Amino acid sequence: MTYSEIIKQFLPQSVSPELSTNLILFAVPHDRLTEICTTLYTTHSLPLKTIKAADERATNGVFKIMYIFAVPHEKYFLVPYVAVKEGQSFPSLVKHIYESLRYEQEIHSMFGLLPEGNVFLQPFILHENWPQTSFPLRKDFKGTTRPAMIDATGPFQKIEGEGIYEIPVGPVHAGIIEPGHFRFSVAGEEIISLEPKLGYTHKGSEKLFESFTIPEMIKLSERISGDTSFTQSLAFCQAIEQLGGIKVPKRASYLRVIYSELERMANHLNDVGFILNDTAFSFGGSYGTRLREQIIQLCEELTGHRFLRGVNTIGGVTKDISPEKQQSIGALVRSLKKDFEELIEIVENKETVLNRLRGTGVLEKQTAHDYGVVGIAARASDIPVDARIDYPYAAYPDMNVQVAKRDSGDVYARYNVRIQEVINAIHIILHALNNLPSGQISQHTTLTLKPNSYTVSITEGWRGDIVYFVATDTNGKVSRVGIRDASFLNWPAVPQAVVGNIVPDFPLINKSFNLSYSGFDR
Amino acid sequence: MILILIKLLILPLLSPLCIGIIRKIDAFMQNRRGASVIQPYFDLWKLFHKDEVISPDASWIFRATPYIIFAISLMLPLGIPLLSQVESWGFFSDFLVVVYLLALMTFFLALAGIDTGSMFGGFGASREMTLSALTEAVLVFSLLPIAIISQTSNLILMATTTSSLPPITYFPIFIAFIGFFIALMAETGRIPFDNPSTHLELTMIHEAMIIEYSGKRLALIEWTAANKFLFFVLLGANIFFPYGLSTTTNLLDLLIAVGVVAMKALLLIGAIGIIESSIAKYRLFRLPDLLLTGLILGIISLIATNI
Repeated sequence: MTYSEIIKQFLPQSVSPELSTNLILFAVPHDRLTEICTTLYTTHSLPLKTIKAADERATNGVFKIMYIFAVPHEKYFLVPYVAVKEGQSFPSLVKHIYESLRYEQEIHSMFGLLPEGNVFLQPFILHENWPQTSFPLRKDFKGTTRPAMIDATGPFQKIEGEGIYEIPVGPVHAGIIEPGHFRFSVAGEEIISLEPKLGYTHKGSEKLFESFTIPEMIKLSERISGDTSFTQSLAFCQAIEQLGGIKVPKRASYLRVIYSELERMANHLNDVGFILNDTAFSFGGSYGTRLREQIIQLCEELTGHRFLRGVNTIGGVTKDISPEKQQSIGALVRSLKKDFEELIEIVENKETVLNRLRGTGVLEKQTAHDYGVVGIAARASDIPVDARIDYPYAAYPDMNVQVAKRDSGDVYARYNVRIQEVINAIHIILHALNNLPSGQISQHTTLTLKPNSYTVSITEGWRGDIVYFVATDTNGKVSRVGIRDASFLNWPAVPQAVVGNIVPDFPLINKSFNLSYSGFDR
Repeated sequence: MILILIKLLILPLLSPLCIGIIRKIDAFMQNRRGASVIQPYFDLWKLFHKDEVISPDASWIFRATPYIIFAISLMLPLGIPLLSQVESWGFFSDFLVVVYLLALMTFFLALAGIDTGSMFGGFGASREMTLSALTEAVLVFSLLPIAIISQTSNLILMATTTSSLPPITYFPIFIAFIGFFIALMAETGRIPFDNPSTHLELTMIHEAMIIEYSGKRLALIEWTAANKFLFFVLLGANIFFPYGLSTTTNLLDLLIAVGVVAMKALLLIGAIGIIESSIAKYRLFRLPDLLLTGLILGIISLIATNI
């Protein structure tokens, strides 16, 4: 669809849209926000990709809250926004669009703007000892200041009844994993409710972006969620390329696909191994870890970094793949495919393993939809979303990407989605290697960003889609970077999948989601 | 006299080796090289030289439990036939005494688990008691058929009788052995009942009960767990397959018996390692079903012996 067709189909007559890179922005009065957003979300079934606020008091005297809706298979995003003056509140969408809850909580904690009608306003991501009068993402808050701690404890929801007791787990866990607190309310072994408390790895990344130079920003984006370094920085680089009007050479876009898929494979293989390991089928555990290590070592051989850091750059990539390396990648992924299929066949014949996976941790389709769940978890619950198909980027339009979809929503479905995606990734890598165009691997031009612009870039990380919202100020400097990792939407859905299961199955369910704490907390 | 001394020492001396062997088998099954088979000795040495942290809320039960259960584990082998059929140790030879010595160990461990008031200790103890109540019955019913065949509850006499049975009557005993094997896996915390190598507190049974222990007391508990494991292996090998036990106390006969018993124990350990590496842990609420299967096998065996 063209620009004018999209406007005609989705936008109400009364608004005056303006185009900023790939965003169709239009201001909405407070009293019409709910109606307009609900029309886009419910009537047109457009996915709400993220809600981000920006402090523009210096230029316009207001905060802007942007509601970013995507139009699948089109290159434009529809962005209704409201302008909010200091001390003013903005209308909450929670009653109509449940997934907006966490975004509104975040805006409330980080900008100090009140979502009118949202009653769930406990401190979000920020620790409860953080004073509730400092708002870190406001421009007048200096990132280097350390406000005085206040003495406060966050309440947990209380479930009462005969024989119900609480299990506090974390924030520090056994094994080398990230911190997060889980409060279970259980009756015997059955879980009645689970309340995760996150935020322990909040590093103020979005604030840090505002003080960094572009090369530093790339490095920071690689560290938002360490296991997704490449896809995270790819989303950021694409956003800057859109703002700078840079065209990425064809070869670079193919290389980006290959690296993305290597990252996806490594993580999926690791997860398949760990899911098996959590059923105490340790043979599968060590097998998965070995396969993952092979990919990771290949990454190191190709780029000098096991997690592909330092590979993405504005305008392309820094590491080429020589013809000899192409051969060795092809040989490795082919032999790995054989080994992997062997493992899957062994597991399929193990009744004891399948019994643990099937019917455990079911995430209902409707729940997944209401929480806006993305990625593996969504596809396992019969929702066919995949940014590689819905919002094609890099060289994905040339690839034959298949959605790996299952419909049971349990651990087994998420396990199978991963297996399917490993096989798909192997096909994509082989296809990309066979058709790798010659030419440059990056575009060297001086970078000038459009001033006063906004852009959104989406990539499909191995967990799910990653959204970067980038805005520039009047000097063409990056003034705001908003990040929405897949974990941000999927974490709140985990308790829904856990309730009704028994306590010893929780680690398995949690592993089948394997969400990033750092990606959620940033 | 020397035999009694051997019986007292063999468990603590060799049990870490058994744990080392089973870990080696697990590693082999996972295509790993694995640690040396004598690594558990080093682990114990390390733990004995570490400081302890004991919760200020812990009572004497928490402090005393490691010593109590270690002492019980030393007594366990006194009554079982180890190398010959002519050993005797009256009271300890009754199989019900053995079963309830094991129950006594579980009792103290569960108390110690609850004692510190830690969440994990509490539900480890609750899970352990649920399972051990069922396991006790399986264990009794797996030994009962042999007791009835041999008209005695003395383990040494039971072994003597089974070794002289004609092979045709061996079938019920083998069925009882399968029941015993299920009880063995449950009592010693192997997969599919418990995963001895997990770090996930929420899934643990035995490891959750002892999660508050550290240093010397932890070493004693680990050592006890190893003793218990070796005891079960020897019990299974010598009661259900009592071949190769010496009929005299000649040194030569005893030496041959040492070789045969070691072979049997290794075979059984190998079987445990291979079986636990090729299955996943059962869902907690499926474990009673498995134990019930063990109980039914015991009952079938009991009926079969009376036909």
